[in-house]
Amino acid sequence: MMVAGYAPEFLIGLAILLIGTTAAAFPRPKNYLVQLINLEIPGWGLLLVLLSYDEALALLTFGAVSVLSTFIYVRVMQKKEGGISG
Amino acid sequence: MVACTALAFIGMAAAILERDPFDKLISLSVMIGGIFPFIVDRGYLDVVTATALIAPLSTIFILMVCRRQQA
Amino acid sequence: MPVAEGMPVIAIYVCAVIAVYAALRVILQRNTMRKLPFLNVMSFAVTGIIALLLPHPITIAAAAAYFVGSTLESNAIASTWAGGIKKDE
Repeated sequence: MMVAGYAPEFLIGLAILLIGTTAAAFPRPKNYLVQLINLEIPGWGLLLVLLSYDEALALLTFGAVSVLSTFIYVRVMQKKEGGISG
Repeated sequence: MVACTALAFIGMAAAILERDPFDKLISLSVMIGGIFPFIVDRGYLDVVTATALIAPLSTIFILMVCRRQQA
Repeated sequence: MPVAEGMPVIAIYVCAVIAVYAALRVILQRNTMRKLPFLNVMSFAVTGIIALLLPHPITIAAAAAYFVGSTLESNAIASTWAGGIKKDE
């Protein structure tokens, strides 16, 4: 099942990556939480683009590093919220 | 596969357009459910197993911030 | 690609129809608490799709991993939502 010479997950991942990047750059209620949730969307799109090239180790590493960077962002946001309120 | 494509796009559009953070997380879960059959279709079963076990950790980390902002 | 034997093709189409219907019910529902059962229904349907997609023995391990992860995520969302409301009042 090839569409215009490309695998279908490549095209779907590219569409999700572009639209998700636009949504993460301009969040509607403009705060950090909405931006972090919107940042998850192009991450999964990039996972689909990586899927169309045959590298299993890259997929595993990207998933692990994505969760790790989300944890670091959460720690930074909690420290900043605590600094403002307390 | 067409149904999974529709699932991924419905979840993505809803995750962008929602306002409440919990509704955004639920729509994000719909989008992830649409993406997983594509990884299975390429045959990376170990990647699917690892990703399905570590993807909820990301959601739980975001939920910690949700509870902190609502309280 | 579905397995070309006849019976698994029908089963995977039933799972796909259930998944799309549950996703539409999730999106069109207004109340957050009423969204969560339909999210579980969609998760079960996607688990069925993953289990029926490839004739390989490790597929059942991948389906079980997705089942556990999705149920954990949904329960975490429900728990945090209920706890946030209780802490707020």
